[in-house]
Amino acid sequence: MLTSYITLTLGLAFLGLGIALLRPNTWFREWRYIFRNRKRILIEDALKHLHDHEYRRLPATLQSLAGALAIGDGRAVELVKTLEALGLVRSQDHRLHLTEEGRAYARRVIRIHRLWERYLADQTGLPEQTWHSQAERQEHRMSIQEANRLAARMGNPPYDPHGDPIPTAGGDMPPPRGVPLTDLPEGEFGEIVHLEDEPETVYAQLVALGLYPGMEVQMLKASPERIRIAANGEEFPLAPIVAANVTVEPLSTAARRSETWVKLSHLKPGDTAVVTTISRACRGLQRRRLMDLGLVPGTTVEVEFRSAAGDPTAYRVRGAVIALRKDQADLIYVEKMESVNRKATAQESST
Amino acid sequence: MSQTSTAHACETCPIHHAGNLIRMGIKIDNCDFVIALAGNPNTGKSTVFNALTGLRQHTGNWPGKTVTRAEGGFIYNKHRYKIVDLPGTYSLLSTSNDEEIARDFLLFGRPDVTVVVADATRLERNLNLILQVLEITDRAVVCLNLMDEARRHGLQVDERRLSKELGVPVIPTVARRNQGIDELLRAIDEVATGSYRCRPRRIQGESPALRKALNLLVRKLRALHPELPNARWVALRLLEGDQRIIDALRSGELGELHGEQPAASVASVG
Amino acid sequence: MANKMTFSHKAAVEDIITTANRFRWELGENLHDSVMDAIYQDAAGIARRVVTVSGEKPRFDWERTLDRLLTSRVTGFPIMLLLLAVVFWLTIAGANVPSSMLATLLVDTLHPALKGLAANMGMPWWLDGLLIDGMYLAMAWVVSVMLPPMAIFFPLFTLLEDFGYLPRVAFNLDHLFRKAGAHGKQALSMSMGYGCNAAGVIATRIIDSPRERLIAIITNNFALCNGRWPTQILIASLFIGALVPPALAGIVSAAAVVGVTLLGVALTFGISWVLSRTLLKGEPSTFSLELPPYRPPRILQTLYTSLIDRTIFVLWRAVVFALPSGAVIWLVSNIHVGEASIAQHVIQFLDPFGLIIGLNGVILLAYIIAIPANEIVIPTILMLTVMSLGMHDMGAGTGVLFELSEQSAYMAIFGAAGWTTLTGICLMLFSLIHNPCSTTLFTIYKETGSVKWTAVSALLPVVLGLVVCFLVAQVWRMVG
Repeated sequence: MLTSYITLTLGLAFLGLGIALLRPNTWFREWRYIFRNRKRILIEDALKHLHDHEYRRLPATLQSLAGALAIGDGRAVELVKTLEALGLVRSQDHRLHLTEEGRAYARRVIRIHRLWERYLADQTGLPEQTWHSQAERQEHRMSIQEANRLAARMGNPPYDPHGDPIPTAGGDMPPPRGVPLTDLPEGEFGEIVHLEDEPETVYAQLVALGLYPGMEVQMLKASPERIRIAANGEEFPLAPIVAANVTVEPLSTAARRSETWVKLSHLKPGDTAVVTTISRACRGLQRRRLMDLGLVPGTTVEVEFRSAAGDPTAYRVRGAVIALRKDQADLIYVEKMESVNRKATAQESST
Repeated sequence: MSQTSTAHACETCPIHHAGNLIRMGIKIDNCDFVIALAGNPNTGKSTVFNALTGLRQHTGNWPGKTVTRAEGGFIYNKHRYKIVDLPGTYSLLSTSNDEEIARDFLLFGRPDVTVVVADATRLERNLNLILQVLEITDRAVVCLNLMDEARRHGLQVDERRLSKELGVPVIPTVARRNQGIDELLRAIDEVATGSYRCRPRRIQGESPALRKALNLLVRKLRALHPELPNARWVALRLLEGDQRIIDALRSGELGELHGEQPAASVASVG
Repeated sequence: MANKMTFSHKAAVEDIITTANRFRWELGENLHDSVMDAIYQDAAGIARRVVTVSGEKPRFDWERTLDRLLTSRVTGFPIMLLLLAVVFWLTIAGANVPSSMLATLLVDTLHPALKGLAANMGMPWWLDGLLIDGMYLAMAWVVSVMLPPMAIFFPLFTLLEDFGYLPRVAFNLDHLFRKAGAHGKQALSMSMGYGCNAAGVIATRIIDSPRERLIAIITNNFALCNGRWPTQILIASLFIGALVPPALAGIVSAAAVVGVTLLGVALTFGISWVLSRTLLKGEPSTFSLELPPYRPPRILQTLYTSLIDRTIFVLWRAVVFALPSGAVIWLVSNIHVGEASIAQHVIQFLDPFGLIIGLNGVILLAYIIAIPANEIVIPTILMLTVMSLGMHDMGAGTGVLFELSEQSAYMAIFGAAGWTTLTGICLMLFSLIHNPCSTTLFTIYKETGSVKWTAVSALLPVVLGLVVCFLVAQVWRMVG
């Protein structure tokens, strides 16, 4: 009797620990929340869609709305009626337009969404693929006051981790910039300014390829079937549908950087190089630490020695010896000293 | 843990020939001047703190040993000093907790002198923090510590040249052997009493786009607060979206900062 | 001053803020980088002008050579293991004599003297028991077991730290720890944990990445601390050593202790791996490790600071926690409810539960009331066993902790209480895998400032320990 009671207690304790550790998706609460707030969520998603089209100067219609929200036309009509009654939207010649109020509302939702992504990227260790879906949930839950406090704590970030501007507390947003990667002529250079995070499968491919905002790319070959670009000394083949989700700003020849970059991790003990850029994929605490150690573009780095186990490698940076793991050194691009010197000599002889 | 030595006991200590130094340990009441002690982690900041106050904070060959903020006091040249050991930071520009504490103290705590402890063997990296501190405050002393190690590594630091470059006193020390502490105290006293006038160096070499933004903002800030000693730095913080500075600007707190600091306002006029 | 602000003033402020915001869009995300770039360029220029490197490089760059030697594939790990072995050997060999001297002084001499004094003063038996047999004796025990090894171990460690060797150890071991989602510096907080888990938890301060630091704190308990070594050695020689011929007993029981220690290491890695992928996956993570230049250590200063900062500090906390624990031990064995003491009631209640997991009620009660210090677990078990068996000729009286000098005497008591080899094995396991002592828990709370992580650090190992002991007992009984 007592024995079985005690076995039961033990079992329950173990189960409790398992739940605490593995924390299965709290799907029930999630589902209940969505159910109770489905109307507001729908309205906010509709406003986001309309804002997105307005921002990209695309027409928004009843059909595009129904398609974006995956609802039937009948429900879409009903939804637009509600939006009009609330004074958020007006329709004109079968086009849907945001009112002042509707735009302000949409930008509040977008502000929360993008701030939350920034927060996840900089201040947590959660994987990149989960940011968007988490922000999709958070945007309907967080109050704008909470979002403003969060922004203040993070130093009011102007951009989200995908390169999209975060609307200010006052609702300001800069005009969109750049062109789709598919529009970049062959041989031209551009800087990635934005990676579209929807649909998720395409975004996951972009992340897996190691593309990030701020990266310089060169269009090697653009055909309707296949697109090839070069970046940081590597070549990337892309499907056009994937490339269309990348926005670039064309770079003039003067602003163009070098093709002789390599990853810091490729250097061997004894090599010396100059840092050219640190990938945007290195962010938050991680990036700050590198800056603290004096690893900024222009810094001379000397590879000292590898650990007994082969992985962290010690580098001499500004007189100090610091250790970096390989996955960190992968995010730092450098130019080897020989190529720096060669370029300097070339410049001297030409003048 | 705290070793408070009486005035009498210390005068007879053989190691401390700094004749008019009286270490006060943690006894710090009605001080004349407040000193902030800043510096990178692992530069011997705690050792300098201990040498000045007679306290014994743990030191070690690791960055980030000091976790709690420490305060201590001493009397030098009949002036009572309170010294605040700020968290060791590499920079004052990011949004980490430690850096905020250090920056807030330098800006809003209005220390009379800021002593920046630097590692002579890694001067380049340490200059990052020194230059940032000099952007915020006019009255600073650079304590060039670990000089023995620098010598051991065959490094010679021309401290007079450095002092000229930075516009503030630079004192070479070996804090763990108490070398140079006397000179450091003298420099602190000179800066605190105003007999040494600092002309701190301001950062140069920013990108054209940044310079344009900074110049415009500085002009606007100067129009608002003509006596602000660190308008350029404030402008930079605004560009970085620092909420603490935005709030201080809105509340007028920023405009008040220089009001009670005669030396600072003289410097900005001159 | 703020109230004097005029309307135009406010408008000017808002204008400045809006202007700054506009520029922020233009300057983009690279602003911070470019500012740092400008500062460092300036810094590099100044450094170039004021720093000169004298003449030629030194003929023999011993620092570089030393670094190559200490981190080489061939010599890196052997040197590390050798140094670790030397530190442990010095600690164990050096602590023996002062430990027994302290025990003689505090337990064998001072305790009877105090008792005599109390008797002369005419102190009531319960006050004398509570203060001297309870509180004083528990404290004396902790001090005599804990102080000497810590006073040797910590200074040695601090010397290695001041010299600059420990960061190289972290550098060499990082690869291993990275696979478990942890930081190489955890090797050092772990080593410190072999001295004392509370000190190990404090040592995690050097890990500047939040996720890895929490991992190091929560798993530090799996490093067998100073207070648990004696338990392991005693039980191993009583129960494991007895299984083999006397000639082999020493080696086999030593191997058992090493096995338990290695199990602790394996658990550290396993639990770190699990934690970094479940509970802690949302905590931010980064890696930075600086290899400072070697510095000649200053022996005297090191002795002073390590004694003050680590030894005395940890000891003080342990004493603070041992005093009430001693009182509780004495009270539960001397306050009677009905026929039996509270302790006897609890033991009876816990006994069936204890048997399921291969232990018994006495051991469980000892772990509950001796939570402040692992050092007094064995004396508490002895005292409780003798009391619950009614062996009045053994021990020093109800509620009075004691130890024995002969193995056979231990066996006599444990045998009478029905201990088997399984009890010994499960006790060794449970001693490794149970909640940290209250000193450590308090330290964890101070360091993390979080009730949640303190609770996780306490519950995770104790539940794990119960499960492991349960499984071992079931399998043992099925097979045996």
